[in-house]
Amino acid sequence: MKNNLLPLGTRDEFGRRAVAKQKVISVIQRHLSQRGFSVISTPLLEKQEVFDQYQLGNYQMYRFLDSEGDTIVLRPDMTLPIARFLSSTNIPLPQKFFYVGDIFRISRRLSGSYNQLTQAGIELIGYDSMKAELECLVIINQLSQELLKKNVEIELGIADFAPTLLEFLTTNKELQNKITQALYDKNIPEYSELIQQYSDLPQYKLLNKWPRLFGDPTTVFDELNNFDLSFELQSKISDLKEIITWIKKVMPEQKVSVDLSSRAPQIYYTGLTFRGFYQDGNDYLFSGGRYDKLLANFQDQTEPAVGMGIDVDMIADLTSPSNKSKKTMIYFDKDQWQEAEAKLKELPNSILSLSETKDDAEIEAKNSDATLLDLTGDDRRE
Amino acid sequence: MNKNRIKIALTKGRVEKQVVPLLEKAGINCDQIRQKKRRLIFDSPVQPYEFILAKGPDVTTFLERGAADIGIVGSDILVEHRSNQYELLDLKTGECQFVLASTNDFDPNEPKRKIIGTKYPNITKKYFDRLGQDVEIIKIEGSVELAPLTGLADAIVDITETGTTIKENNLKIYDYLDKVSTRLVVNRMSLKQHSKEIYVLVDKLEGAIKDENLSKEY
Repeated sequence: MKNNLLPLGTRDEFGRRAVAKQKVISVIQRHLSQRGFSVISTPLLEKQEVFDQYQLGNYQMYRFLDSEGDTIVLRPDMTLPIARFLSSTNIPLPQKFFYVGDIFRISRRLSGSYNQLTQAGIELIGYDSMKAELECLVIINQLSQELLKKNVEIELGIADFAPTLLEFLTTNKELQNKITQALYDKNIPEYSELIQQYSDLPQYKLLNKWPRLFGDPTTVFDELNNFDLSFELQSKISDLKEIITWIKKVMPEQKVSVDLSSRAPQIYYTGLTFRGFYQDGNDYLFSGGRYDKLLANFQDQTEPAVGMGIDVDMIADLTSPSNKSKKTMIYFDKDQWQEAEAKLKELPNSILSLSETKDDAEIEAKNSDATLLDLTGDDRRE
Repeated sequence: MNKNRIKIALTKGRVEKQVVPLLEKAGINCDQIRQKKRRLIFDSPVQPYEFILAKGPDVTTFLERGAADIGIVGSDILVEHRSNQYELLDLKTGECQFVLASTNDFDPNEPKRKIIGTKYPNITKKYFDRLGQDVEIIKIEGSVELAPLTGLADAIVDITETGTTIKENNLKIYDYLDKVSTRLVVNRMSLKQHSKEIYVLVDKLEGAIKDENLSKEY
């Protein structure tokens, strides 16, 4: 077997894409540091139990055994390790964290998906105020401007809207789950069949409209006005309305929509969810929400928290490479090093040539598409 | 990719033949597909849709990767490939059913670990899991009926429309599994990016299907 082949679903990053990705990461890091967030970095390896509670969707994890025979995994998510960290240390809360790192998820073989993904994100822990959600929305707005020079569309949702609504319809948990699944998957043939049994109820009209309850906020809320919602649902909707009014006031240019028919981005979300997408992207660039119960997975005490992930790979794919001015390659003798170093500082887009002869330096410059600057003043060919 | 156009991946072959008249009934121009020759991609300036023709399993891959916005494909393939895109409409064409079939001497209750031949290992596994049985599955690419006849497998799980091929090969149906029909599936992100245009198409098609079924009844 050849020894220079990559495992399935991985890639080397080089050239234009590597540069674009590095730039995205540095913009995110600078932005969040400036907002006063503390950086946090957790290991790539975690015990499997950290992720036990949450089946993380349509993928598997890379697993190994350590020397004790415990199952170790390559982390498939960044939030659960941070929750683990907080529960095992006495960090005073509230705190704002940010991270950038790689996560690993085994996707379907030969599907063209990568198994190693770079994610950035923030976790605001110990905040029960809506201000925590608003800070995330401001960050989506500012980062998308800074990175893509355009606004993404922010889509707001309520993680437990569907279960809360269905509790009033039936006490049969299994049926609730079936309807929710069919609704979330927008498996309309199955969904229509499941709700058929309620066709005599006044709620049937809402059930029928439900899969399409997403898009422009005014349209969706107007639609909801036709129905008699429970007090609990009404208060969730009025929170959502409050946030939309706030966005319109503080970020009038920001495009915003709502979605009351989709699955929350992560199953541990409990409250408001938000995502950002772009007309040209194949997936969401930003996704997050409130997860007030997550810490209870690791400790007795719950802590209010809001988090958001940023898809660094997708943003890197969407950013167009900037037209940089041509590089200058500085060719010099060993004893001219200080002079060369001064030139390197002086010229903005320059690089030292490490070739021994001028002929080699010319080849090196050609390969890097650079102009050669010769400090030796030596025109002899060797 | 031009994101202003809606790219529809249509399963070529039988699905294409059954669905093109339905699309036309819904007011979508399919002249280019009807006169396709060997071409696989059709972009007509008269409507916002661009069609591509692909094999069923590839339709799900195009959709999954966002290389197509809409897919028209059999529910057998969607289930087998565990597609998690949005299934918005049952086109009520290509209707058939999964069955468990074998030779006359097959005993479904015989206490042994059965060998099952099929083109659909996931669907087969799901069926026997539900029965609480562990079986050995052999993946077969075509002419699945041969498996029990040659002794390669004890029984098969396959799709049948009328049961004719099964009968003609002296096989008997022992159980009926899920029903199959052609579905319209939409990429999750595309539904957000082009919801209006996609629902216009879905509603037109739904109307056409209803008319078709009414005319069948009378």
